[in-house]
Amino acid sequence: MDPRVLIVKRAAQELKDGQLVNLGFGMPTQASNYLPEGVKVMFHGENGLLGVGPRPKAAEAKADITNAGSEPVSLTPGSAIMDLATSLGAMRNGVLDVTILGALEADQLGNIANWAVKRNGLWWPGIGGAMDLCYGTERVIVCLMHTDKKGVSKILKKCTLPLTGKGCVKTIITDKAVFDVGDNVLILKEHAPGVTLQEIKACTEADFIVADTFCEMKV
Amino acid sequence: MSKFSNKVKSMDEAMGIIPKNDAIIMMGGFVGAGEATCCIEWLIKNQIKDIVLMTNEPGLSGFGRAMLYKNGLVKEIISSHVGTTAESTEEYLKGNLKVEQFYPMGTWIEKVRAGAMGLGGVLVPVGVGILDEPGLFSNLKEPKQVIEVDGMKCFVEPPLKAPFGLVKAWRADEAGNLEYRYTGINCNPMVAMACDYTIAEVEEIVPVGTIPPERIGTAAPFVQAVVKGLSLEEHDEIYRQHWLKIGKLVANQ
Repeated sequence: MDPRVLIVKRAAQELKDGQLVNLGFGMPTQASNYLPEGVKVMFHGENGLLGVGPRPKAAEAKADITNAGSEPVSLTPGSAIMDLATSLGAMRNGVLDVTILGALEADQLGNIANWAVKRNGLWWPGIGGAMDLCYGTERVIVCLMHTDKKGVSKILKKCTLPLTGKGCVKTIITDKAVFDVGDNVLILKEHAPGVTLQEIKACTEADFIVADTFCEMKV
Repeated sequence: MSKFSNKVKSMDEAMGIIPKNDAIIMMGGFVGAGEATCCIEWLIKNQIKDIVLMTNEPGLSGFGRAMLYKNGLVKEIISSHVGTTAESTEEYLKGNLKVEQFYPMGTWIEKVRAGAMGLGGVLVPVGVGILDEPGLFSNLKEPKQVIEVDGMKCFVEPPLKAPFGLVKAWRADEAGNLEYRYTGINCNPMVAMACDYTIAEVEEIVPVGTIPPERIGTAAPFVQAVVKGLSLEEHDEIYRQHWLKIGKLVANQ
């Protein structure tokens, strides 16, 4: 299985029936394709749409019905449209139940860094709505590849890039493992199919303990 | 001119008031949706240069606002992001597009709201202890101010206002009352109120009294000029074709 598909399939299992959910750009968006059976959630788009539905047929797409990535979407029954201050206010003020976000780095303090890298000496690309989500959402789930292309851990003792949220992350899902965030330590809950504890130890910079219930991801 | 007189103007008449250089312009829209397409094209055709652009994010690659950066017309962006278009990224990384600091999106729209409502600013807790990290935004004239209210640490964020505003609505009446469709309402009404001279590009112009009062998203006194842009059908078709091109829609499905 493509490691990114593995990650989003596992992330989708975190969603519970009836939740109000915001999915970040990139990998997390795909989680909507793998909702567990019987789980119905309402998706929020920060562009002011509660009740983001699937991609419409080409002939039915409208310039004024889009998600936060300016992609054509449909409206689900019960959806609501609001202005941007209300939409971001809902994010900041804890109205969303859960958000799944991509990240550049995550750490054992529950920090996430996902808005900036240095390019030509400049921080790029920018914050968007991610910081509001991290600030206000009860459950922040982070999805990322466990290491960079050179095998260097992205699961750190302390993030090195500018943070998006401090101490907000509850769960980290990678192509190798699932961690919960404890008190300045990660708790290893699951390993990906075929990945050993030894391998996870070798590619994780963060301190972690192994949960009693440690088992293989069911994806 | 009364706040309720006929504001319908030709594109040249409405846009001609914008200075050729160093104009501060605020725009509605969200990643390419809800943009004043024809007004943006006018800025390019008339080579309005060194624009300071206040916008939620830069736009969508290959589309609308992105063409402003491609033509090198924007010198600074005041926004939550610089990387939603390839064109703004390129200009930024070449050092041609200044970003003094990035704002969380919720902070950006609250700053606009403060400007729209005549407030002295807003108190925002998001990013305290992160965005005021020394050295993060090295071009700030002074450090971000933090105050504590009832135990909550907040940034003091001054309002955003602009001399010129470009918004996009579905339809307007001749006095400038605007009606929006769907998510087009997200930031255009706030932008319209935060600018001294707001130009509304619309798909249809109707007589006063046509739009039901409770459907008016921006009231006439907040609008100084109304211009006719593309029709609703043309607009939908342009987006549809773009989405087909970039794989966000599948033909015959």
